[in-house]
Amino acid sequence: MGSSRSSLRGVPDGQQLLQETGFSAALLLRLHQRFQFLDKDSRGHLRSEDLEAELSENPIGDRIVGAFFQPGQETVDFPSFVRVLAHFRPTEKNWTRDGVQPEPANSRNRKLKFAFQLYDQDRDGKISRTELLQVDTTNTYTVKSKLSMKPLNTTC
Amino acid sequence: VTALVTMAPRGRSGLGRSLAELGLLLLAILVLLDGTVQSLEAATSSEIDTHEGKPGTHKNTSKKSFPVLGIKYEDVSVPFEIALWVLLASLMKLGFHLIPRLSNVVPESCLLISVGLLVGGILKLARDEVPPVLSDRIFFLCLLPPIILDAGYFLPIRPFVENIGTILMFAVVGTLWNAFFVGGLIYAVCQIAQDKYSEIDLSNIGILPCLLFGSIISAVDPVAVLAVFEEIHINELLHILVFGESLLNDAVTVVLYHLFEEFMESGSVSAVDALLGLVSFLIVALGGVLVGAFYGILAAFTSRFTSHTRVIEPLFVFLYSYMAYLSAEVFHLSGIMSLIACGAVMRPYVEANISHKSHTTIKYFLKMWSSVSETLIFIFLGVATVEGEHHWNWVFLTSTVILCLVARVIGVVGLTFIINKFRIVKLTTKDQFIIAYGGLRGAIAFSLGFILHSEHKRIFLTAIITVIFFTVFVQGMTIKPLVELLAVKKKHEAKRSINEEIHTRFLDHLLTGIEDICGHYGHHHWKNKLNRFNKKYVKKILIAGDRSKEPQLIAFYHKLEMKNAIQMVESGGGSKLNSTFPSTVSMQNIQPKIHSPPSARPSERALPQLTKGREEEIRQILRTNLQKTRQRLQSYNRHTLVVDPDEEGFDDLILKKRRMMELDWKLKQMTNYLTVPRPQGSPTMSRARMASDSQAYVKPGAENVPTIKIDLASPQSPDSVRLLDEVVQDQGLTMSLPSSSSRAYKTSGKDDGRDQQKLLRCLSDPGPDVDDDEDYDDDEPVPT
Repeated sequence: MGSSRSSLRGVPDGQQLLQETGFSAALLLRLHQRFQFLDKDSRGHLRSEDLEAELSENPIGDRIVGAFFQPGQETVDFPSFVRVLAHFRPTEKNWTRDGVQPEPANSRNRKLKFAFQLYDQDRDGKISRTELLQVDTTNTYTVKSKLSMKPLNTTC
Repeated sequence: VTALVTMAPRGRSGLGRSLAELGLLLLAILVLLDGTVQSLEAATSSEIDTHEGKPGTHKNTSKKSFPVLGIKYEDVSVPFEIALWVLLASLMKLGFHLIPRLSNVVPESCLLISVGLLVGGILKLARDEVPPVLSDRIFFLCLLPPIILDAGYFLPIRPFVENIGTILMFAVVGTLWNAFFVGGLIYAVCQIAQDKYSEIDLSNIGILPCLLFGSIISAVDPVAVLAVFEEIHINELLHILVFGESLLNDAVTVVLYHLFEEFMESGSVSAVDALLGLVSFLIVALGGVLVGAFYGILAAFTSRFTSHTRVIEPLFVFLYSYMAYLSAEVFHLSGIMSLIACGAVMRPYVEANISHKSHTTIKYFLKMWSSVSETLIFIFLGVATVEGEHHWNWVFLTSTVILCLVARVIGVVGLTFIINKFRIVKLTTKDQFIIAYGGLRGAIAFSLGFILHSEHKRIFLTAIITVIFFTVFVQGMTIKPLVELLAVKKKHEAKRSINEEIHTRFLDHLLTGIEDICGHYGHHHWKNKLNRFNKKYVKKILIAGDRSKEPQLIAFYHKLEMKNAIQMVESGGGSKLNSTFPSTVSMQNIQPKIHSPPSARPSERALPQLTKGREEEIRQILRTNLQKTRQRLQSYNRHTLVVDPDEEGFDDLILKKRRMMELDWKLKQMTNYLTVPRPQGSPTMSRARMASDSQAYVKPGAENVPTIKIDLASPQSPDSVRLLDEVVQDQGLTMSLPSSSSRAYKTSGKDDGRDQQKLLRCLSDPGPDVDDDEDYDDDEPVPT
């Protein structure tokens, strides 16, 4: 991986991220480019407004954005960005739990935890009834500023 | 004929036997009618001749007595025979299902072909000639469209589109591979195998006829696949893969067939022709789809205006689809793809527009026609087998069968290897085996062979029939035990609940959002775009009235509720209906008038701005319905009618009714009953619901649970009220305060209108046999 190692120079913690998340070097590079694209002022980190701009029409956009930010943090840097996205890699079948290594981000458990956090907005570790209802109702409506509501299709 | 008539009333033992006898009787009638009646006809006509021959003498002398009873068969012969065939087919179908042992072992298609063979044999013996029933015109114009339309209308869009890449690969590349492999190797075999004792000179068969033959035989047949796969209930993925492939490979087959036919006529092939072939394939496929979509949109648009003439709504669906098929056939486009596209495109809009009864009508008619068609096709296959003269050449036949199998296996394995690189959910070896084994050939291949103009038509036809028989009988019969043996995942029988629906969509949004963040134009992105386009423009045009604006979930829910209500009333009991039913449903039309505050008022903020009433109603609906509800969307199973949700819901209904009666009886004794366990669903669900509901009731002032007032006396529901009133009987079980408070928690907070209570009382009236004291599980105790 000689050449890709050199091309990862611009990526903060590139090597470590490669190992941690299991992304291929090319993919990591692409994500870095995307990160830089989203980070309009080249600050090196993203704010929630940057992400929200992409998700303006998504009914659960605010939740998704919230999933990137650790509680209390205002910004997300590239390693955190990649770590969150690592949840979405396909699961590998050969991974066995050996207790030594931390669970990779794309294991089923971690995926479930990630999804759970999307429901559990107040992060108390439980999904309350109100939270569930919020999910249910926001799902039936899209978000559209300044216009009337556009109900969503029930797929058949 | 009289002898036959007297033969009928004998042997009553065993329903199956008597049906079989009836069938045989019909057969015999069919056979002998033509023979004997014709002579009768001749007799009567000669009489008429003589009658008119001597007009003069006739008037005075032997005046023929007035023919009280005469036979004139020829006028009605064609429809008569058609009706007889259809009747025979249906009786056979009936008969098979009455003999459970047989239908478990042997798939229906095999039995039907056997019956066809039998009938063909009898006809041949009786008259030494068999009517050519499986002519290609009858097949392609009358028998095939209903099956394909049924498949297309009820096609499960979501799994189909999700796997479209795989399906296309199998359909296009797989069929091409099969065609060339079989065609090429069969040619090689023909050249090599020089059987001096056979009358057929195999080496005469050129490469092009072989390729043509290969292209005919390589197409997986949707009819056969449907017939066999429906009985084995494999999981949805495999079903849609094989079935989708069988539908889409029609385009390939059509192109290859015409291509090779043209080449055979012209006698030479050039590279330009090959290129043209490729272009023509694209045209055939895309053209078919476009034609279908066009007619589908027309149908959707027409259905927008049918609110005053509900009776002919189903007719539009059928006619437009048939026109789509025929129009595609005119231009040599793929009729099957056109039909599928038409059905799939028009369905969401038509279903939003038409009445409930029309929907039921469409569903039942489609199922009926496709069922009859399928039965007839298989019977005719059997008859046609007996009919033609066959050129038996063992070398050709066996090598064809073997080559088909080998080609299919290699094709599937090879393609899966490539496809798995692009799939997230990979296809396992078991899956591959089932896909390969499920490549059944059927009547389409036969019909295509029938219209060949080649000199080797006979031998090709024999080979085609052999392959069909082999796949249907051997593969069809053994696939079920193999599925069991390999423990392939079966179909998930339960329908998706609203809960699952919602969470699936949640995850869809999540994935779309992540794709957006990554800047990746993936699957979800395009689907989202399509949905939004659909919402914004298409629905406004194609769906009537204000139904386009209301949340689909609510509309769906209302239709469900109305269906529930109808069934409850029909089942003779006034058992308690779902609480939100009375609010919006009228018997004729689904015109929800929930939104008193106009929901179209623009809102300024980016967050979902629902009017309070709407939001609460949705909450209400969801809260009371986190359970499995019957969806009317999934009925692509041929035998759905047997396990119709309506019918299983009926038993549910009776159970509900009984539980309601027990409940009311219990209520009489309790005075301070805050919440009522709802007699639906599993105890867990009811408990969960109850927990939430009791909370809702106990703390009406809690922030997220404002009280809801649903106007029961809305102008929309006079019909419903009237119907329910009929049910009210004075049983002495008057509902006093407890019931109203218990019922009321569902519909409103503390404010009960007087009329609300009254209506609720009517609703909760148990019905005539309240004295029935049955022993059933006590519902779980009420948490407070």
